[in-house]
Amino acid sequence: MKSIKKIFFVCAVLLLLMSQLQARAGEIEVFAAASLTDALNEIGAAYEKAGGDHVVFNFAASNTLDMQIKAGAPADIFFSADEAKMNDLEKAGLIAKETRQDLLSNSLVIIVPGDSPAILISAAQLASPVFKKIALGQPASVPAGIYAKAYLQKIGIWDQVSPHVIPSESVRAALAAVETGNVDAGIVYKTDALHSKKIKIAWEVPPAEGPAIAYPVALVQGSKNGAAAKKFLDYLRGPDALKIFEKYGFITKS
Amino acid sequence: MNADDAYVIGLTLLTAGLSTLLIFPFGIALAWLLARKNWPGKSLVETAVALPLVMPPVATGLILLNLLGRRGPIGVFLQSLFGTEIVFTWKAVVAAMAVMSFPFLIRTARIAFEEVDPRLEQVARTLGAKPARVFFTITLPLAFRGMIAGAVWAFARALGEFGATVLVAGNIPGRTTVLSVAIFSDIQLGNEGHAYRLMAVSAVLAFAAIIFSNQFSKWGAAR
Amino acid sequence: MKLCLKNLRLRQGTFLLETDLEIDGQVIGIFGSSGAGKTSLLEVVAGLRQPASAFVAIDDFVLADSSRRFSCAPEKRGLGYVPQDLALFPHLSVRKNLLYGCGRSRDTAPGIRLAHVAEVFEIASFLDGPVSALSGGQKQRVAFARALLVAPRLLLMDEPLASLDHDLKWKIIPYLKRIRDEFKIPMLYVSHSPAEVAELCDQVIVLRAGRCLRTSPPGDIFESAPSIILKPGIG
Repeated sequence: MKSIKKIFFVCAVLLLLMSQLQARAGEIEVFAAASLTDALNEIGAAYEKAGGDHVVFNFAASNTLDMQIKAGAPADIFFSADEAKMNDLEKAGLIAKETRQDLLSNSLVIIVPGDSPAILISAAQLASPVFKKIALGQPASVPAGIYAKAYLQKIGIWDQVSPHVIPSESVRAALAAVETGNVDAGIVYKTDALHSKKIKIAWEVPPAEGPAIAYPVALVQGSKNGAAAKKFLDYLRGPDALKIFEKYGFITKS
Repeated sequence: MNADDAYVIGLTLLTAGLSTLLIFPFGIALAWLLARKNWPGKSLVETAVALPLVMPPVATGLILLNLLGRRGPIGVFLQSLFGTEIVFTWKAVVAAMAVMSFPFLIRTARIAFEEVDPRLEQVARTLGAKPARVFFTITLPLAFRGMIAGAVWAFARALGEFGATVLVAGNIPGRTTVLSVAIFSDIQLGNEGHAYRLMAVSAVLAFAAIIFSNQFSKWGAAR
Repeated sequence: MKLCLKNLRLRQGTFLLETDLEIDGQVIGIFGSSGAGKTSLLEVVAGLRQPASAFVAIDDFVLADSSRRFSCAPEKRGLGYVPQDLALFPHLSVRKNLLYGCGRSRDTAPGIRLAHVAEVFEIASFLDGPVSALSGGQKQRVAFARALLVAPRLLLMDEPLASLDHDLKWKIIPYLKRIRDEFKIPMLYVSHSPAEVAELCDQVIVLRAGRCLRTSPPGDIFESAPSIILKPGIG
């Protein structure tokens, strides 16, 4: 009997500890695209310093976040890297439509490992046999991959390039692959490229030529911290946050 | 079941089979050395072999990526010798499966060797058999069932390998996507129905491996 | 046969086996209680244990000489070994067990052929069956026969009768005598039973706690007493 009591006690303690691990009241959970990692971390810290609530971020590819929110993950705000995933959630009635807004844009770049001698004088040269392995986000699901494929199709080299594609599960994973030198090139957002010192930008896609990249943000329906989350959403739209986004290379629409 | 699924299942079976074949001779030799001999550095080797069992598979995958990648020592060596790259190809799948399933083979085979009564080996030597003959006529036949059981466990483990494989070989449909990775992909994309179908295949394969292993033991014992 | 076990030092944890003796005999007993080092001594002679120092020789054949860092490998010593648990190979038939030592490189001596040995030890009827089907006494005889068939220069027996019941002991002893008298193979016979040693051996090494107390014929060691092996037909 003594050992049963002990087990009860241990379980009770564990449950208590676990309950503490969940977001406390006043903590805001933001599910955001991987490419927003550095900018949002800095914004979150600035927000707290300015007296705001503690913000907890979950960074991943937007399709992963989409799936997690659909499965009931406790997100307060969803910050996606493309319209499609936000539309998906809106259709499922999981976001507060009236809070949705296109906040940012980005541009694509073609990057190569830092010690690579490759130079591109046009994007079409990506089809050259020199580039045996090219890292993209999963072209079927990851926004960065979808944008990249759209662009390559537009300039007519997708069929030549696709056998060389190494799909990654997020844009940051594609960046990492180029950093390790295990691939010859990659297509990521300009903001990701600026963030890394181990790669070189070989070609910048002019925003006018590239696909229309949009970063919509919205409040998640049924969030427990609606008021606090709305306050943070307003902060994201505010001048302090936008300045930080621009610092990291994002194009702001205000 | 369509052609893509058939490819995924076929790739998984082939790479798992190849990886098991590759590790088998080394595994048996090492298992015997661990069971019967003492040498300096033995505990280091024992720990190294057990690491893939205890470390998160992605951690092992990262180590493999650093070793086998373009800038890694083994990767560079293979590049200069054969002009081939391993990462992001089926060869990396085999490598990841081999590393992750190796400890399973070693554990089972080592126990099989330890269960062979050393007295039998000693008597064989007094009867005039050199150590090599003792190994092939006494030790190996008596440890055989355990060795095969070890190989089956290793194969089953290779079938389910995910963390290290996805890191070092990626998820390239039609080239390196194995069953476990395909299931994960389906979940990521929201194709749950297809994921469940692949899971069923995975379960059937696992069942088959275990049933075979049990039958083999029974057959061996009945002799 | 002359057996030399000089300068022998074998350490096993806290146990130390030390002997320095020369002994002459056809069947030499090693007598002592359990833990005295009898099996270890046998294993040293067989080459299965490497002592820190030893000079081991049978007649003119040197098995080990630590001063010259020489130790003959067990498979080259030409000895027969019957361990206490018999160690018959479970995965081989009786016949394959018996013939294991008689490879291409080992010739059986004239007079020691399988058919003859099988007849002498009365094991011919189950030669092709599995070892697992044998009774205790049958297994014993197969173990003797297997060691004999390699025509050893010396047969090492470790408590061959210890696990047998009384009646069986009496049945097996004649076979041992036949090895001594008919095949004329010298034996080194380990036992803790005074009766067995008295019955079979002409010389005895008495061991206690790893040391040889004395070597002499059994008559000098044991009080003569009515044989404590029951005669057949009684009890």
